[in-house]
Amino acid sequence: MADIEALGEALGDQEHKAAYIFDPAAEAPVSTRPAKRRRVSKKHAAQPEKPKEKLAHRFQPLFNGLESKKSLQLRQDAFLKSWSRVQARIDGVLRETNQSTLEAVTAFIKECTVEMTDSRIPSALIITGANMASQSLLFEQLSDSLQTRAGAKVVLLRSGDASNLKAALRKIILEVVASPSDAAEEQDLSLGNDGKRYLNYDLEALRSHLAHRPSPNVIVAFQDSEAFETGLLTDLITSWLDRIPFKLLFGVATSVELFQARLLKSTCQLLYGRQFDVEQADTIVEKIFQTAVAHVDAPLRIGPVSLQTILARQRDQAAGIPVFVSSLKYAYMCHFYANPFSVLLADNAHEVALQPEHLEVIRSMGSFRNHVEASLHGNAIVHVQSLLDDDDYLAQKVQEQLLSSRSWASRSLRTLQIMMCHQGRASKFTQLYIDLLSQGVGEPDQLADFLSAIRRMDPPEMVLLLHQMVTIIKDGDRNMGLAGCGSENDPSVTLLSEVAAEIDTLCREAKEAGFTVRSEYRGQNKIMRTTVIAQKVQLSHDAATLTPQDKSYTRLVDKTVEHLQAVLVCERAEDIWLHEAWLYDFQTPYREVFMPRPRSIVQRALLRPHDYLACSCCNSSKDQIMPTIPVTAILYHLYLETGSLINVADLWTAFFGIVGEDEGDGLDERTALVMFYRAMSEMRVLGFVKPSRKKVDHIAKLAWL
Amino acid sequence: MPPRRKAASPDQASAAPVRQSTRKRAAPAKITEKTNDETDDKSAQPSPAKRPRGRPTAASKLENGATQKKKSVYDVPSDDDAVGGGGSDKEAEARDEETEVAGTPKRKVKTTTSPVKSSAVKNITTPSRATRFTGGETPQWRRNDRSARKKSARALIERVVAGDASDEDEQEDLAQEIYDSSQDEEEEEEEGAEGRTQEGDESEAAAASPSKKPRGRQKKETVPGRKGGRPRKKSPTPPRDLPPYELYFAQNRPGAAKTSSNTLASLELLTHEEYFTILHQHKEHHATDIEYLQSWHTESFAQWSFELSEDFSICLYGYGSKRPLLHKFAKFLYDETPDHESSKIVVINGYVRATSIREMLGTVASAVDPSHRLPAGNPSVMLDSLKALLSSHDINITVIVNSVDAVPLRRAGVQTILAQLSSHPQIQLICSADTPDFSLMWDSAVRSAFNFVFHDCTTFAPFTVEIDVVDDVHELLGRKARRVGGKEGVTYVLRSLPENAKNLFRLLVTEVLLAIDEEGMSGGENPGVEYRILYNKAVEEFICSSEMAFRTLLKEFHDHQMITSRKDVLGTELLSLPFRREELEAILEDLMS
Repeated sequence: MADIEALGEALGDQEHKAAYIFDPAAEAPVSTRPAKRRRVSKKHAAQPEKPKEKLAHRFQPLFNGLESKKSLQLRQDAFLKSWSRVQARIDGVLRETNQSTLEAVTAFIKECTVEMTDSRIPSALIITGANMASQSLLFEQLSDSLQTRAGAKVVLLRSGDASNLKAALRKIILEVVASPSDAAEEQDLSLGNDGKRYLNYDLEALRSHLAHRPSPNVIVAFQDSEAFETGLLTDLITSWLDRIPFKLLFGVATSVELFQARLLKSTCQLLYGRQFDVEQADTIVEKIFQTAVAHVDAPLRIGPVSLQTILARQRDQAAGIPVFVSSLKYAYMCHFYANPFSVLLADNAHEVALQPEHLEVIRSMGSFRNHVEASLHGNAIVHVQSLLDDDDYLAQKVQEQLLSSRSWASRSLRTLQIMMCHQGRASKFTQLYIDLLSQGVGEPDQLADFLSAIRRMDPPEMVLLLHQMVTIIKDGDRNMGLAGCGSENDPSVTLLSEVAAEIDTLCREAKEAGFTVRSEYRGQNKIMRTTVIAQKVQLSHDAATLTPQDKSYTRLVDKTVEHLQAVLVCERAEDIWLHEAWLYDFQTPYREVFMPRPRSIVQRALLRPHDYLACSCCNSSKDQIMPTIPVTAILYHLYLETGSLINVADLWTAFFGIVGEDEGDGLDERTALVMFYRAMSEMRVLGFVKPSRKKVDHIAKLAWL
Repeated sequence: MPPRRKAASPDQASAAPVRQSTRKRAAPAKITEKTNDETDDKSAQPSPAKRPRGRPTAASKLENGATQKKKSVYDVPSDDDAVGGGGSDKEAEARDEETEVAGTPKRKVKTTTSPVKSSAVKNITTPSRATRFTGGETPQWRRNDRSARKKSARALIERVVAGDASDEDEQEDLAQEIYDSSQDEEEEEEEGAEGRTQEGDESEAAAASPSKKPRGRQKKETVPGRKGGRPRKKSPTPPRDLPPYELYFAQNRPGAAKTSSNTLASLELLTHEEYFTILHQHKEHHATDIEYLQSWHTESFAQWSFELSEDFSICLYGYGSKRPLLHKFAKFLYDETPDHESSKIVVINGYVRATSIREMLGTVASAVDPSHRLPAGNPSVMLDSLKALLSSHDINITVIVNSVDAVPLRRAGVQTILAQLSSHPQIQLICSADTPDFSLMWDSAVRSAFNFVFHDCTTFAPFTVEIDVVDDVHELLGRKARRVGGKEGVTYVLRSLPENAKNLFRLLVTEVLLAIDEEGMSGGENPGVEYRILYNKAVEEFICSSEMAFRTLLKEFHDHQMITSRKDVLGTELLSLPFRREELEAILEDLMS
């Protein structure tokens, strides 16, 4: 309190200013600095930094400050590099996804410029979907591409900017006239070229401005058209279309029909519209997921729990792409900021001399214990002993292990891809990926669905599937950075292509003979017989007779399935030794940071202040109101027990009953009243109560927490 | 409550020994303690008017809380008692009692049991008691109550007859519940349902037989048990642990809001001076804990600055003023950056009433380039020009917003502008939010533009400059006539008034400003302008032609509390304005344009 008051004095006048520039140097020189800050500044002195380096010394040394500067620096660099790489890939995806829409719209605008002869206004209706957050990105891209490629001037209008016609017109004129190309003319905006003065919302000004331009192309984009007032839209559309060649873009969140229904018929007739669809947010999320999260080169694996949380938020809050990206970014930030082993993810990790602290912590990690136990089962006692005793040996093994975890990544992705060949349409890649991380692949029952689906396949389907698999194994997947094995010698490739070829031959033979090939796993192979014996129905199954071709097809199918079963093996991420260095799988910081629950936090603070204050006086196990807890908390307790209308006189009596003098070191009445005032005003600021006119000295309850 | 208590206490005091003798579990200590409490209360506030009975008042329940607290001290004997009695004994007894109640009116049972009791009954029927039940609803309540009892008893009997052994626990609960309520009724008629539940819990816990079910389920059963026979009308609080939405409906059902008609008339309200004098003398005994909490948050400064540098905005929420914390953070940032030319910190105080988006943007712009002036116009134009300015300078600005959810910043458009500002790569934004519902201010577009990370920064630090405590409370109480809120309010009112009203107000503002210049402030109030002089001037300027018209215009201002009038020692009427000088200047500026 004393400290806070002192601070208040130091602030002086500033606290009553609406806004000011913080500059302690200008006021009073701060004489004593806390030790912590001094340490930071010392470090500055020790390591002169480049001014451009944004991140300099943002990271704090771990291991209670024992971490060496070198590894701290490495961690920091590793974060910068790896995230910027991921970011670049994400940007690429975003650019590509909107590319087709952009091109289509641009083409439409160009085409209209050339061809339009009648008086209708060319308008592009862009169906953006409900996701408002990703709209702005799209429209910015649109505006860029139209400006550069169609030579048009684009005005972006948001419903918030244009509350009335005047404001909208002003904005349009300002944006068109004050484009960067002719900054010189910016000043005499109000002064027309013919010497006339215009009001700043007079479109005449715009016309005289455009009269001197070679290609008078003005595009007005309504970003959230549904939010505009209908009358305003109508006015904007109908006015001036005969004099200024406007073109319009509408961002439509619902559907064209609904949008049209909002406009007057006469207005609609003035529009020459075309509809453009934008890729929906969840497809984009899926794409980003593949390139950023599942990518082979992704330095950090985000674990299943984290991913589930992120995706759930994406779904529940209808959050946009930027939110998804920043979620990923935050995971990276957390990992590199707080995990000392993230240093191993640096590009030159092999140069890193691991500190004794590092090794010590590695030895106490869960995955290390598992590894040791597994090695003991495998009788590799020497290995275990050196791991435990020999620091150098451990360091060397750590490096080896890091390399092998990379191969795990590509192996798991290949497995996924092969499974996707069949399941691609049924289940999402994200879900498969999460399952793979959390459960691994290899348990027979996990693959059961997949394999039995393959068994039941028709030969043509089978051939198609096999070809797909071969392609994936050979060529990999560009999106995920999965390199193919490239050669024909891979055992899987040889086997699968052989099988495919044989099936082809079988089919041809069968076709010549006039029947189709089936495997014995097809449902129709079973024939069901119904016999009535002694008034009871007896069901019996018989295997239909199989042709030799069928039998050999069945054999081939079995062979494929067996092979797949052998190949599709992948352990869970958490079973791998040293996964702590590259797997980030936490829920807490993410949930707290992005999905806060302010209501319950405030409630907790007021209900159980002891949780925060940890003082000796207020600890009570039951719901009693301790007279020592902060006054607002006392009042809050009382508040909880009131009805929707509160008599302040009674509240005060009760309050005084708690804090009053009879409680030993209680407060005298006036002091208690001061505290009561303070608590009441805080309750009001928190939005719990408001004045009520129903009765004298009564207030109304506003929050039911 | 004190008046009722006064009437009740003698009879309760006499009833206490009686009950003690007849029923062991009626923790005697509690009762005596309670009467103590009452006498205390009486001394604290000498008998106000009579209060109708059966009204749910905050205070009564509150006191309940207070007594509970005391009760805990005396818990022990009653515990022992219950344990000694044993679960089954108690159950049987309770059941016995219940069947009796079901069969015959309770009072009769009592009279038959012992002579001592009859005296208690007499007590109950004394006139003093009768006056307490003038609330009109009492007989009905009594009836309801009785029927509830009957019903539960019937259910109990049925279950016994059915011989459903597995239900033993439930029976016990029910019996316990009924027992408790009857005990309650005698002991403390006023006590709410919530009190009962608690007591039930307490003795349940005390009995502590191994077959006891966890609390949660037990509660579930007690609630419908009570509900089964229509809830008592008088019940002031619904049972505890209702989910908030249920509580809302429970408390907002028609007729639910009944409060006493006590007023604060006898209490002398605080003035600003007294408030601050006492506040400065007062020692907050949690000061060290609060400071510790603060220092704990200080630990994360490095993390915050990392997050800011990665283009996230930060929002600090939780109870307590976060202004001191943010101020420390500003210092931290300031000390951390070596180059104060290329990185600056702008602090915005959202709680200041006069905060305007224009001033905020203007300050940021002047941080970039002190000589630059943003074009006047609507905020989005200003923002665009600010962005252009930013991109032409190599500068990073950290914007610190205190109380981003304060009333002045809740106005339409402000948050959008802030969000757009924060999404600029050269701007980092960290803000604090005080209310628990702040996130409702932002739609998804605004929120994704902010790109927030949230941190729980419960500080428990008192709000100092953020709140004008005395005025706020008086406004809450409706004591001080509410005046229109500053400049916005005035412009709003004037907009709907005719031209000459505006002119008159302008005249008044000018005169008052002149008077301030000449005389200075007197006792925190603006100096006044003489009524006559103002009238003459108004006539001169053709604002009005008759005193009638002049009065009418003034009346309008009066209704909106835009002017104040008082009489000086000589009895001349003085008119003045309840605004600060800066506000007055701003108003004048507005009126002249």
